[in-house]
Amino acid sequence: MNSKNPRPGALFKTVSAFLWLMFLLSIGFIIAYYPEAPDWNWHGLFRINGLSLIIWATVTFFSAAVTTFASKYLIGFRYYKRFLALSIGFTMSVSLLVFADHIVLLLLAWLGMGFFMARLIGVNTQWGEAREAAKYCQRHFLTGSLFLTTGMLLLAFSANQFTLTGLTQHFSELPFYILLISALCIIVAAAIQSAMFPFHRWLLSAMTSPTPASALMHAGFVNGAGILLTLLAPLFFQSKTMTLLIIIGGVTAIVAQFAKLIQVNVKQKLGCSTTAQMAFMIMQCGLGFFNAAVVHLILHGFYKAYLFLSSGEEIEHKPPKKNKPHINAIQMVLVLIFGVLGALFFAWITGKGLKLDGGIFLTLIVAITVGQATHNIVKRQELTYLKKLVITPVVFFISIGLYALLYNGSTVFMAGLPMIDNPEPLSVLQIAFGVIFLAGFFIMKLGIYERIPWLYVRLVNDSQPYKKTVLRYKKSSK
Amino acid sequence: MTAQELQHKIEQAAQVIGKTWPLYSFVTANPLSGYEDRSFFEAVEQAGNALDAQVLPEAQVIRQAWEEGLIDSDEIKRLLREAGKTESPEHYLKTLEAHPAEEQLNVNHELDRLTVKWLSLFMDEGMAAWPMPFKEQGFYTAWRKLIKYDEDLKTKSKGAVPKSPEQALSFLLKDYNDAAQATLLERHLAALPGWAGFIKYRVENKSVWNAEYPVDLLAFLAVRLWMAHCLDIPLMPAAPTPKNHALLELKYLWLQAWEGTWQKRSFKKLEDSVQQSKQEKTVTPEAQLVFCLDSRSEVLRRHLEAHGNYETFGSAGSFGVPMNYRNLDNGLINKSMPAMAPSKYLIHEEVIPNQEQGAQAYKTEGKRIKFYTYFLKRMKNILPSAFGYVEGSGFYYGFFMLMRLFNPVAADRMQLQHKTGGESVYEPHIHAIGDLDGSAGEIAFEEQATIVKNAFDSCGWRQFAPLVVFTGHASHSANNPYASSLDCGACAGNPGKRNARILARMANAPEVREILRDTHGITVPEDTIFIAGEHTTSTDNVELFDSAVPESHQAILQSLKKVLVDVKHSMTKERLNEGDDAASLAKIKATSWSESRPEWGLSKHAGYIIGPRSLTKNNEFSDWFSSSYDWKIDNDGAILAGLMQGPLVVCQWINNHYYFSTVDNDKFGAGSKITHNITGKYGVMQGNGSDLKVGLPLQSLMKTDDKVFHNPLRLSTVIQAPKDHITKVLANAPALKTVIDNGWIHLFVMDPEHDNVIEQYRPEATWAKAV
Repeated sequence: MNSKNPRPGALFKTVSAFLWLMFLLSIGFIIAYYPEAPDWNWHGLFRINGLSLIIWATVTFFSAAVTTFASKYLIGFRYYKRFLALSIGFTMSVSLLVFADHIVLLLLAWLGMGFFMARLIGVNTQWGEAREAAKYCQRHFLTGSLFLTTGMLLLAFSANQFTLTGLTQHFSELPFYILLISALCIIVAAAIQSAMFPFHRWLLSAMTSPTPASALMHAGFVNGAGILLTLLAPLFFQSKTMTLLIIIGGVTAIVAQFAKLIQVNVKQKLGCSTTAQMAFMIMQCGLGFFNAAVVHLILHGFYKAYLFLSSGEEIEHKPPKKNKPHINAIQMVLVLIFGVLGALFFAWITGKGLKLDGGIFLTLIVAITVGQATHNIVKRQELTYLKKLVITPVVFFISIGLYALLYNGSTVFMAGLPMIDNPEPLSVLQIAFGVIFLAGFFIMKLGIYERIPWLYVRLVNDSQPYKKTVLRYKKSSK
Repeated sequence: MTAQELQHKIEQAAQVIGKTWPLYSFVTANPLSGYEDRSFFEAVEQAGNALDAQVLPEAQVIRQAWEEGLIDSDEIKRLLREAGKTESPEHYLKTLEAHPAEEQLNVNHELDRLTVKWLSLFMDEGMAAWPMPFKEQGFYTAWRKLIKYDEDLKTKSKGAVPKSPEQALSFLLKDYNDAAQATLLERHLAALPGWAGFIKYRVENKSVWNAEYPVDLLAFLAVRLWMAHCLDIPLMPAAPTPKNHALLELKYLWLQAWEGTWQKRSFKKLEDSVQQSKQEKTVTPEAQLVFCLDSRSEVLRRHLEAHGNYETFGSAGSFGVPMNYRNLDNGLINKSMPAMAPSKYLIHEEVIPNQEQGAQAYKTEGKRIKFYTYFLKRMKNILPSAFGYVEGSGFYYGFFMLMRLFNPVAADRMQLQHKTGGESVYEPHIHAIGDLDGSAGEIAFEEQATIVKNAFDSCGWRQFAPLVVFTGHASHSANNPYASSLDCGACAGNPGKRNARILARMANAPEVREILRDTHGITVPEDTIFIAGEHTTSTDNVELFDSAVPESHQAILQSLKKVLVDVKHSMTKERLNEGDDAASLAKIKATSWSESRPEWGLSKHAGYIIGPRSLTKNNEFSDWFSSSYDWKIDNDGAILAGLMQGPLVVCQWINNHYYFSTVDNDKFGAGSKITHNITGKYGVMQGNGSDLKVGLPLQSLMKTDDKVFHNPLRLSTVIQAPKDHITKVLANAPALKTVIDNGWIHLFVMDPEHDNVIEQYRPEATWAKAV
């Protein structure tokens, strides 16, 4: 080895090249088949459809990006090769998950994802806290697997169907209580995987994994819930548990977004953000937009993988005082105008929110986002009003347009899957959450929460890592 | 116990910990500076026991050095024999290997965890959008007002938390006698030396954050002890198991043998080089370049001299300007000189006359950067726009991720940063330290002339070429919390160009030159011009700030620029041990976000030479720091005194920091970068949370998790000067003498009046022939 300029190992480079090839291949497939996705099935064991191709492209992209990054970043790490082996194991587990038709394969894939991820968290076996974290997370993942197995086997044996394809066609024949129990079990499994409140602590205790493994966790592993819910979409309609998904997602989204505000460590901050984003994804599922959830998990993956990989950039000498410019009347008008315009553009281009259904909720989020962005642009003095008036619409037009491109594209490509684009009718609960989100927005904008000390301490304690993974051991020389 | 007594006891106890510097201006200090009044061995033994740290190279590091032939067999045999140890070196190495470090449960785990929880919330410097409530009332009060809501800790059973930290401590410590109190305080500080050290930094260095949100060790101890009280754990922590004295002695012998071997081999090289230089003739140089004494400059100087008729000097990278610098972009003031001495001046950037337009453009660019940074941050934070934001921006992040993976150089150019440093439109102005708004005007020319004279003196410099470049240095790296550890150590972890620019501006002023000539007898030729430059140590690019160079000097300037490009290529080849593409490889390393070793910094340094360039000109000395010094112009030894009390101490700090970070990377360094978690915008912890890391990360010092790159050796300093000069300097500098007498630095003299024989300094100023 040239110690003056150490280079990545050959094996690592080969694997990442292979993963990039797989990514290009899956993109090639998607392009070749678009808009009619294939629907292949091999002896009831494996299947390839629109969703599996889209998710596989996503998974190979993140695995390839992370191994490319890690090949250099981890040079000299005692467990360099072990890290690679575990990443491959994880990638293969996710691949199995998306291509599995037989439910035993699906369950094995789920178990495998947790197994490999827990080992990545504890990849440095000489580090006591890392071992504790791995154990703690593994316990969560095993519990998740247990719930998933219970739910799936209950369905499978009741319907005497052991493939996903078969199962999703026979939900309507099953008694309601079977559907309900199974759905609840599966929702628990999903909630653990995507670190929903109150199962969120494992994610905040998993920072003992090398940074690239965290990227894989936050852009890959936690998405398992979105995939699982999408695969079984009809179950939640028929077991009437869509509302539960909205509640789990909605509550977690609010708590985690507030918890994120108080974090002083970059990785825990990103962890809270992931929980909030996953919560939003589950909410999208609950609203009947499983397709939107899939798009969200992909885009969130880009965002979060990037932020983890670049988490070394947070050192900065800042002055202690910050000034908060207040909003004035003209700005307020602009915020409203652009918020409404953004929402209309979004509704027109994606078709969401044109009817009286859950889409309205998602459109509201867009309106608030655009409004917030407008406010951030107009209140700063660095730009002239003319620039503000030009930049604002251009930014929104491109951003919403790109989103719509992916959303519409994947909706078309996943059309073969049952009930994944089936908006729930507008309900009181949805309106309630809409109001809460709006209120949350204003509470955050006005900084009202900053005056509530007990809330602060509560959020601090709820977002602490598991005790045994912090300062539990020390090394003592002779 | 009065408040003063308590304060005094805490100060005493705090000797056990070092200072933790923030990573935005990283200072390589001696983590054991509180022990310098003891002999090196005694100090490391005591500190090792107090902090439960490794203080001498561990067995596998010695094994590696032994197998790489870095420890001379005769040398270790001799030392073993003298210590009465008769077995073979291999035997003793095996003895060391039979006692590896062990992982143990931390008995005060819960207390440590809670302390870090509350401290990290309070100490935050802008990471959290919702800062700790009551923070402005200070750490103790904020904690007292919040702790009642903390379900992790039942405080109610112990009654009301005392109103002040003094009351809390007096109450808790009342049953202990003075000695026990001292031990108790010391052990609680040593439990989390990184965090306690950062408090020490905030107080002693008057951090702007501490002015707004005060915390001190008193508050730290009061909070910690009251929590221990509530947890019902003994207030007196158990004494750590002392290290095995015999093993430490054995390790120390190996360290000495390693150092002795390095000295023997390096002094041979030095003597050869001195022999050769005797036959050389001097030619007037085309340009002169002054570099930092940093070991990374040696390579550049050697290549530059080989490429053309240039003379080079080594100086402390702060160029003798004891200054603070007000940052142009955010108005924050940073120290830009060695951290141990007080600053005397404050540098403001002012627009160069007729450059108002350029300055306006620079400012606009700065505002745009600020805006985007703010925009991105706000969007991520606010519910529920964070969700919409992720969907709207995901594509950009994906695209940029690909860019950074496959074309880091281009991605680096797209980052939110100034395209140029603004050097062509702003010029530095030098003010007194208290002149915060610059209204009192610049300091007098007489004072400026003195600064310039001292800079010339410290380089032993009297003949000036037409073009003189003061070359500061800084590093460029991406995604690197330790970026500032690669910047100039003599400028307290900042770029050295700021000092270089102000010095060049002063030296160009006709008024200053007049005083230099009339008062100090130094004549700077009229056609000599001074400019500043910057060496980027990760790419070996040298940028010259040449906007003011007149037509008359363009020919020299242009040819120098051409040579610097050639030098970059030949130098990166040597530095990276790569082929013709070395320069572009270096550029990638400097910009890639996945590069955990952008450059090796000062790793591998072991020596420091104070003497003229001619001594080292004929060989490679890339493991040496080097200060230009000419004893012949230093009649009264004043210049040498300056060098020994300034740069030598800087080098000792750097050396001790590298040494301890290498021998115990977890305790004195920062552990591996791959599991770092940045806290509060100023520091890092490991994993989910840990003690605040105090030193350099593993990747700065080690090839792999198991193999060192930096050799942990104490600094060997060689000074070319008459022995009496050195003895006199030491007699007047008791602090320095203590450090040398105690063996923190090995001091050697090369006496020009005695045939340049190298002799080793011994306490009480006796000298012995070097190994």
